[in-house]
Amino acid sequence: MGYAFILPNMLGILLFFILPALFSFGLMFTDYQFSNPNVSFTGLDNFRRLFHDEQFYGAIRHTAIFLLSVPVSLVLAFATALVLNRSVYLKGLLRGMFFLPYVSSGVAVAFVWMLLFQPTNGPINEILRGIGVASPPGWFADPDTAMYAIDVVQIWFMLGYNMIIYLAALQEISPEQLEAARIDGARTRTITWRIVWPLVSPTTFLLLVTGLIMTMKSFALIQAITQGGPGSSTTILSLYVYKTAFSYYEMGYASTISWFLFAVIMAVTVVQWIGQKRWVHY
Amino acid sequence: MRGKRWWTPALAVALSAVLLTGCGSNGNTGDAQPGTAGASSGKPAQKVKLKLWGAVPAEAGPQAVVDAWNAENPDVEVEYVRYVNDDAGNLKLDTALMTGQDADLYFSYVLSRLQKRVDAGVAADLTARTDYDIDGQMGPDAAQWKINGKYYGVPTKKNMSFIWLNKNMLDEAGLPVPPLDWTWPDLEQYAAKLTKPGVYGFLQHEASFTAAIDGTIAGLGVTKADGTSNFDNPLWKQWLQINHDMMYKDKSTPEYGEQLTSKMPVDTMFLKGEAAMLNAGEFIFRNANNLKDYPHDFKIAFATIPRISADQQNYKYAGGVGDMLSVNAKSKNQEAAWKFVKWYADGGMLPMASGGRIPSSKSVDSAKAIDLLLKGVEDKYDRESLDNVVFGKFESFQLDIPQQVIDARKEEYEKYFLNKQDLDTTLKNMADRHNKLLQQK
Repeated sequence: MGYAFILPNMLGILLFFILPALFSFGLMFTDYQFSNPNVSFTGLDNFRRLFHDEQFYGAIRHTAIFLLSVPVSLVLAFATALVLNRSVYLKGLLRGMFFLPYVSSGVAVAFVWMLLFQPTNGPINEILRGIGVASPPGWFADPDTAMYAIDVVQIWFMLGYNMIIYLAALQEISPEQLEAARIDGARTRTITWRIVWPLVSPTTFLLLVTGLIMTMKSFALIQAITQGGPGSSTTILSLYVYKTAFSYYEMGYASTISWFLFAVIMAVTVVQWIGQKRWVHY
Repeated sequence: MRGKRWWTPALAVALSAVLLTGCGSNGNTGDAQPGTAGASSGKPAQKVKLKLWGAVPAEAGPQAVVDAWNAENPDVEVEYVRYVNDDAGNLKLDTALMTGQDADLYFSYVLSRLQKRVDAGVAADLTARTDYDIDGQMGPDAAQWKINGKYYGVPTKKNMSFIWLNKNMLDEAGLPVPPLDWTWPDLEQYAAKLTKPGVYGFLQHEASFTAAIDGTIAGLGVTKADGTSNFDNPLWKQWLQINHDMMYKDKSTPEYGEQLTSKMPVDTMFLKGEAAMLNAGEFIFRNANNLKDYPHDFKIAFATIPRISADQQNYKYAGGVGDMLSVNAKSKNQEAAWKFVKWYADGGMLPMASGGRIPSSKSVDSAKAIDLLLKGVEDKYDRESLDNVVFGKFESFQLDIPQQVIDARKEEYEKYFLNKQDLDTTLKNMADRHNKLLQQK
């Protein structure tokens, strides 16, 4: 009887997730092109190509830089949540404002940041020039800074979500614990890092794992801002998969890259799962 | 206490709803009612419905074309579906074609896209049709669109790429309209002389940006005699250097990063008088003839997209014929679709002329098309250079390199134009990456 209830959902998952995933696993070993009905089995050719593909290595590097946004965003969110958890004027309004980016459309967000980061007359560089920076960075227009500029947008984007979750965790901490610490003479800094931070560590762990996974898979933001450019400086793995599959129609090779991406996500998650015992306190 | 700030989340939700709907709506407007034509096969003598996919906005001509056809042919109804001519838009069309949805007729704008459709078996071989002589009607340039010696579509319009000139600014600077055989060093000088505060000497539309290097490689050959890439040829080197100089030394054209990140509306800037020259194609006529939204009081003259050097042999001009109209090989209504193709090519497309799409068929009186193009705006164009350049005869080409190679090339020259890679490395990388992709095939 229970199975009957979950059947509709399971059918959907089977049809739209499991089967395509298995299908793409099979595609890894073929040269299937979307536009070419003749498919042949090529064995490990796609893997050989993968390991000699400089664009692919570039994509891994860019993904690594992109992932930096996750811990930075967590630290900032924690700090923001701490402040907003105390008595601050307009607390509710501020919470709403911090959360707003997360519920906004990614494309609209991308457009606003493109204006802000405009290299010659965007407000950010105007301010930098105003305080005496002779040649401010080109942000999205410079292959060296584009990925970091994307990081900034991603951090800003994720901040609200992370903050709300942290806020919930902070509310869970019993005031008695903090009061006891205070009576024992602990300063605010000690309380924060020795009591509060360990107490919210399960939340940090959750946000870290989901954040890393989401960031590795994320796509819309970069596609909207730079489409992977300039050059290929912001082509992260997920974008490279998209390009290979839907611009060049090389479904076989794209499957190989995306399974590699899956393997990386899996590995990162497993490592974190094992590592959590050292620092997560339930 | 909670009731006090009830409006904060409400505000957030309301704002986000606005943002979300604002962006969500554009995804759905293009594809109207899927799956209507497929159901029509059951009853006899029922109206045939065809869907025509193209990248020109419906209001810029296609709707008028389709309306005219529907009025003349009560038994065959054609509906126009617009797709945007970028990766996502082409993917949408290809998906529709390959999954057998309603796409009976469609336009391809570049050879590499058509090639994919031929590979997938969704472009009907029109060489087999004996009642229409494509070579005879469309002229010798049509053959550039042949794939394996066959026509998988009819090239319906004259393709034209050229430099738009603000004649008033040229006159002010004492510069004549350049001769047809001018070169990039000439253009560089023109651009430098025409640059003044608030006015760029030269702008380039993305669609024409590589016209000169493409025309060069079309003459030289994409590969050398030994089969390796020809992307490191000295003419490309010269072109890259000139463009780099214009950006950073003369400052007569926007720095590449600036153009890239601000998504510069180059056609609007030219028509507003913020640039003296614009490298683009005939599609700008759509805006240039629209004096209501793009008012301007200067005269526009035309020049060819120059050769790179004066002694260059075999340079080809971006042009020829384009707008390949193909019949989906999987369409159930082959005959009706073919009838539409012939009708469209031999005059049905005339309403598109006012937007710059001049029919290539010799059955269409080109004077009539030109009149349509210039109706009401005759005094805005320098007629002599218009006739010489826009309607001139040049040796043309269709770029025959795969999308992947085009993208790899772009990534490399972007690094050069952004000062992240020197000129020699750029040429070497372009050739290396091309060679690598050549080997994969």
